[in-house]
Amino acid sequence: MSAFDFESPSRQSAKGIIVIFGINAFKVLKGAWAFILLIVIQGIRSGNGSFRNQLLIIGGVLAVVLMLLIVAILQYLNFTFYLKDGHFFIKKGVLNREELSVSHSKIQNVYIKQNLLQQIVNVVSLSIETAGDDKTEISISALPKPMAIELKRQLLKNSNQLRIKDPEPKEKPVYFRASFPKLLLEGISENHLKSFLIIFAFVIGLYNDLKEIVNSIGFMNGYKGWFQLEGESVVALIIFNLTFIIALIFVSMLFSMLKMLIQNFDLTVIRNEEGLELSKGLFNKINLGLTSSRIQKTTVSTNRLKQLLGLYKLSFTQANANKKQQLNFNIVGLGKIQVKEILNQFYPNIDGRIKRHKPSKYMLIKHSYLGFFLLLLINMVLYFLPAVFLWLNAVLIILIGSSIYFTYQKTYYYVDQDYIVRAGGGLIDTWSSFLELHKTQCIQISETYFQKRRGLAHLTIYSASKTLKIPHIPKKEALNISNQILYLVESQNRDWM
Amino acid sequence: MFTNEQIDVASLPKLEDLQMNPIDRKYLLILLLNIFFTYGIPIFGLLVANYLSVNKQFKDFSPYVLFTLLLMMVLTMLIYGIGFKKRVYALRERDICYSHGYFINKLIALPFNRIQHIEIARSFLARKFGLATLKIYSAGESGSDLVIHGLPKDVAESQYAFLTQVINERV
Repeated sequence: MSAFDFESPSRQSAKGIIVIFGINAFKVLKGAWAFILLIVIQGIRSGNGSFRNQLLIIGGVLAVVLMLLIVAILQYLNFTFYLKDGHFFIKKGVLNREELSVSHSKIQNVYIKQNLLQQIVNVVSLSIETAGDDKTEISISALPKPMAIELKRQLLKNSNQLRIKDPEPKEKPVYFRASFPKLLLEGISENHLKSFLIIFAFVIGLYNDLKEIVNSIGFMNGYKGWFQLEGESVVALIIFNLTFIIALIFVSMLFSMLKMLIQNFDLTVIRNEEGLELSKGLFNKINLGLTSSRIQKTTVSTNRLKQLLGLYKLSFTQANANKKQQLNFNIVGLGKIQVKEILNQFYPNIDGRIKRHKPSKYMLIKHSYLGFFLLLLINMVLYFLPAVFLWLNAVLIILIGSSIYFTYQKTYYYVDQDYIVRAGGGLIDTWSSFLELHKTQCIQISETYFQKRRGLAHLTIYSASKTLKIPHIPKKEALNISNQILYLVESQNRDWM
Repeated sequence: MFTNEQIDVASLPKLEDLQMNPIDRKYLLILLLNIFFTYGIPIFGLLVANYLSVNKQFKDFSPYVLFTLLLMMVLTMLIYGIGFKKRVYALRERDICYSHGYFINKLIALPFNRIQHIEIARSFLARKFGLATLKIYSAGESGSDLVIHGLPKDVAESQYAFLTQVINERV
């Protein structure tokens, strides 16, 4: 018997008012940040505003806060949920009354999460994922944790697709826990090129946006001398750019380290026969259950540095999980043996059967063409810079050339009666993806005009969440593999979820 | 019980042996009309603007734009014309295949037991020509859906009825 009564309509925890208020305030801030920034800048520009203006601003802010509070209270009062006849009901809405119901059998998964605000007031949110349409969001934003766990248990009780036992994490042995030093190591050994590019693009984009403001403040006057391309200042320019890039690299390292720490804080994995349960996160605590039947694609990835340190990442995609959730199905900081064990749990007997089939060497030729065009494009920019910069080409050629070589070297594929494997990578990263053959949704063979002359084609295998693309293989081979996959999928009639 | 028998790949039903059916020839007309309208509206607008404008610079420059647009229209029509013969489909006992594209040819095969839902869509022009589009969705990403344009209405409807029956019998 449960200590909670879910049969009669009940409200969430009263702390829900705070959570709803927080969420709404965040939405308002997110929507209006440009407007607020504009007002602040205007305020700074016009010097200290008059007393009347200040009063107006404070009054406005108070009015918005009060309104948000009233809305939060109304939303709280109008939100009820209950279980009845194998269905879960939610009634909500102040002006637009809404009634959602979902049958237990349609429930795919139940997530328990905790964001920063929820952590402070000690409640959790519970959201329900259903099969089919991913737009309707069924979630309760503030529940006491024991109540949420009990509700999750009751919701999943009748579902035959998920056979999660009573989630009492304390009694189950923890399979893997990522320690703080390990996460630090993971963060440092990230491929910083990606976050570097993001920050670089961000800075460039911001520069254009803020140009006006910067100019009006007269901030750049002191630095104008840096940008004059006279003979002597070329050295200064190089030094400036170098410091700029080193600073950016430093920032991007910090960025990926922080991201790693925040996202994976206290990452804990519990293993049972049905699958894995993982919980992690500093500000947004999440609790996920992974079941074998719902996993579509599994990817093991590492990079050169991580490989030396013995760090591997496992990422899973599940059917129907939306993109935001997909990001969280990652387990970082695993050792080689743990990766092997988990892979063997979801893909039995995969060890030792993989034979590496290579794509055609034409892949090298095609990538070389692309690399050449990229080089040409960069040189069109370099043309306008001092001649010293042409030396950059030496670095670029080595970079592009080696990444083409390693991309080809790391690419291989393997298909048999049970599994489809595709591996790849680049100069730094290495990954391999696994898909159970019966989880194929659809296949596509595509050949470009240039491939056709060489009798080559791409083979794309669609699963219910991500695709596997086997590039540049002989068309005959692509057809053979397709015939085999189609035959197995059609004759076995196994569930893909 | 776990068995793992060897499969003789050579004896499997072959995609390469499929007898593909072409779609209705009238669909080419729809394609060409669509292209004509897409390019025709800006071309017409430019002609009117050129006629009304008094700006000499604009009058000198607009013929080049006009020529480029016309060239693009003809080229697009040509590409669609060449590629039209490549739009073929085939129905097998347990899956449906569709192939299209001249410069990048794609062959998609979707097993019946992976169909999520099906749909018939008819645009304004298609209704005028008695054609229909058959859309077959699987659970995968957008690329994994099979969309056959330009089927004669009765063919599309019979396929739809057939596939619906297959789906209903599946459970």
